[in-house]
Amino acid sequence: MSSANRVTLGEALRALPLAAPPGDEWTPLRERLQPLHTRPSAWRRYALPAALAAALAGAFLILRTPPASAPATVAHVGASSSTNGTQAVQLHNAQNAANQPDRLAQLQQRSQALERWLRETGRDAAPLQGQDLAAAAEIENLIGLVDVELAAPRQTRAPALWQRRVGLLEDLAALRYSNYRLAAGGQLAASWQID
Amino acid sequence: MQMVSTSAFQIDLPAALIERVKNGDTAAFEQIYRRFERPVYTLALRMLGDAEAARDALHDAMLKAFQRIAQYRGDAPFWAWLRQIAMNEALMRLRGGEGFTVSMESAGVNSDALADDAPAPWAHADARMLEQALAQLPAVTRSVLWLYHVEGFTHAEIATAMRKSTSFSKSQLARGTARLRALLDPEPEALPCLLPTA
Repeated sequence: MSSANRVTLGEALRALPLAAPPGDEWTPLRERLQPLHTRPSAWRRYALPAALAAALAGAFLILRTPPASAPATVAHVGASSSTNGTQAVQLHNAQNAANQPDRLAQLQQRSQALERWLRETGRDAAPLQGQDLAAAAEIENLIGLVDVELAAPRQTRAPALWQRRVGLLEDLAALRYSNYRLAAGGQLAASWQID
Repeated sequence: MQMVSTSAFQIDLPAALIERVKNGDTAAFEQIYRRFERPVYTLALRMLGDAEAARDALHDAMLKAFQRIAQYRGDAPFWAWLRQIAMNEALMRLRGGEGFTVSMESAGVNSDALADDAPAPWAHADARMLEQALAQLPAVTRSVLWLYHVEGFTHAEIATAMRKSTSFSKSQLARGTARLRALLDPEPEALPCLLPTA
């Protein structure tokens, strides 16, 4: 398709008027917003129980990862979506400002390794079901949100974002790992190592 | 992202407004809701092709935006972050429906193979005709067209979001473009020399 025609179709589509929902959608939404301050988020309700269930299996996988120069637990703090987690990451970043380029490179490498592992084991793992599937979808959506911020030209807090991305990928790996192990007939796939 | 996008989402918000929402201020969130209601609903409607499903997607996307706003760090514009949530909500519904198992018969279609210099019928179609033609496309094909042309996502970004390959996104774009062309210009005028003589 020629670029001229592509632009023309894009212009025609963008010129279509915005649609409006038929009724008042704000009022029912507002009614659901108020209680949210006093109960855990949907992510925690669905994802955390499943992630915790997979944690024992995932721990093996994560512990096998070669240690980075910073403690591995820092990445897990970054994985938390809580305010405390964010503050801890910020404190860590301030303390390691001098080493930030190295830290950033380590996080990016770990992110790539986790993605590669997820891609490769995904081919062998049985499809996730039920709560695990919902948790995995939630984590993938959250990774997408981190990626939106990482794609922005202004990344003032890139290490914190990469840390969060790695943490989410580790959560996903923990879920996938237990599933992968089950698909392998319960035999521990000791050859798998994220590095 | 492609820089040519003029998405209706591109509304800048004061940082103070977002901070108020992070502190649980629902009145501040209502301001955000009012500004983005139509862009979110329109995106969902174009992708899903169903007003009721689009309403649900609007509701859930806004709810998640409120729930997750503490995770928004402000490196990217808020509208891009919210749009990602809206797209995910619509895609989640598409995956749950039959429409997501789109035929792969066009997977090998190269978009360049469909290039031609014929006048584009959508240039002359009014909004109603174009909307009717869009509505006849499979949901996934229509979604790719919309995400690419209107929201300015790249094929790689669309592929990631849909958990498909880049070539899938390209083929859906080519297929959708060809189908739209056929729907809007179904019967090209016969050349006079081919008309039967009396």
